[in-house]
Amino acid sequence: MNHSLPIEANPNQPASAVTGRRPDSPQFTDDPMVDRLYGVTLSLVTELAVTRTRLDTLERMLAKRGVLNEGEMESFVPDEAAAGARGRLQDEYLQRVLRALG
Amino acid sequence: MSYPAPWHTIGRHALMPEAAHDEVARFDIVARLNAHVAQRLGPQVREAWEARGRHVFRMRHGRDPLDRHEVSEAMARDAAYRTYSLVRRNTMEIRQQAGRELVSRQAARLRDRARALNEGAATLKLDPHFEAPRYVTAIDQHLMRGGYAAERLEDDVSNPANYDAGMYATIGGTGGPWINAAGRALVDWLQRECPDFKPQRIVDLGCGIGHNTLPLREAFPSAEIIAIDAAAPMLRYGHARARSLGVDDVAFVQGDAADTRLASNSFDLVFSTMVLHETSRQALPKIFAEAQRLLRAGGLTLHLEQPTYRGLEPFEQFVRDWDGRFNNEPFWSALHETDLPALLVKAGFAPERVFETRCVAPSWNKSALQEDFGRAPAWYAVGAWQMANGFAVIG
Repeated sequence: MNHSLPIEANPNQPASAVTGRRPDSPQFTDDPMVDRLYGVTLSLVTELAVTRTRLDTLERMLAKRGVLNEGEMESFVPDEAAAGARGRLQDEYLQRVLRALG
Repeated sequence: MSYPAPWHTIGRHALMPEAAHDEVARFDIVARLNAHVAQRLGPQVREAWEARGRHVFRMRHGRDPLDRHEVSEAMARDAAYRTYSLVRRNTMEIRQQAGRELVSRQAARLRDRARALNEGAATLKLDPHFEAPRYVTAIDQHLMRGGYAAERLEDDVSNPANYDAGMYATIGGTGGPWINAAGRALVDWLQRECPDFKPQRIVDLGCGIGHNTLPLREAFPSAEIIAIDAAAPMLRYGHARARSLGVDDVAFVQGDAADTRLASNSFDLVFSTMVLHETSRQALPKIFAEAQRLLRAGGLTLHLEQPTYRGLEPFEQFVRDWDGRFNNEPFWSALHETDLPALLVKAGFAPERVFETRCVAPSWNKSALQEDFGRAPAWYAVGAWQMANGFAVIG
């Protein structure tokens, strides 16, 4: 299953219009690196919550349908198409969590 | 802690962007983060002020601070305030990026849906030659890229779609499923305070996507309602949204709240909700003067806003000023310091007919999920009644 949704689906709009750090972001600490670290950390907080919610949805659905047996997830190996789709997901993920870096 | 209702409980209409599982989960966690900021980190800022900031200021100056600028001197570098600010600013940016991702992949589809709903309707009046005021075009209001008037494709509705879908995360679900708490608060105030007032012609100045216009439609079904906004994308989206909700008799008209080009002396109610802080020092007196010009005898102008700073303790002013400093609301601070009743008098309303009040939205308790835990959204409001015998003497 591919639930990946391209960030850049609109050819009229550059990706920079969607993602990335605002050039006018204020600095709250004495060291801009600390501000950036907060930015990444909070995006990670968000994305981890999203992932946990997704996993929760998935596991509930699978258990309800009796599809998932114990231990099956631990031994799963993705095929080529799945691995490629995961790579694209990871690219989009990084654009979200590294928002504060630009 | 009280928690926001989940995103999936917000109202659905034809223009609402389609959200996938993770996009919904992202709005939900951002709304919870915002609730955490308000309920956990916010109080820590006050504790830091009581425990440290106030004493540091007193030691330096031998007195308490007189205004928010002096509080800022003591608190801007405080760890609790900086942490609060860092988290709050980041949740705003995360919310904006999440909304942009959501709408950019379906921008053309949303545009087409709006076109189909708007086609041939006389109730949508856009003016291709209209130039929106600088306060609308020159700023990314509350970090929304391009601002209200931005168009990235022909007949674009993507910024209003982002605004509509993401507003829930910003205000933590307190607007109710239709994000119309300010409109409901206004209606509730009218029905309570002046039950005999039955406006026949109504203008909403700065209607945005009409969130807060539609409760007036429901409350006054026979009234003629004109919703004015400077931004074409907001009007396109708002008009299509209204139609998809079965409302086809509210006119969405592109125009300037300070110069609506509507007939003088012809309206019973001229209102705005959360609009004044997004205007400017130059525009505000003109908007009040325009309201005065539009109203006929016995008419009412009423404007809902965040509380004025006047009369608030300096620390409270400092905390409330966060949006003005860090959320791209350049007129926020000045507006909340302005004596709005005095400005209404200057605009021509009789001093004894000018008033300040509080409008509170009735709680949305239709189901347990939408329970708002008593956090009824409430606004400061400033208004004036038009003299019963024609125009008041300007002076």
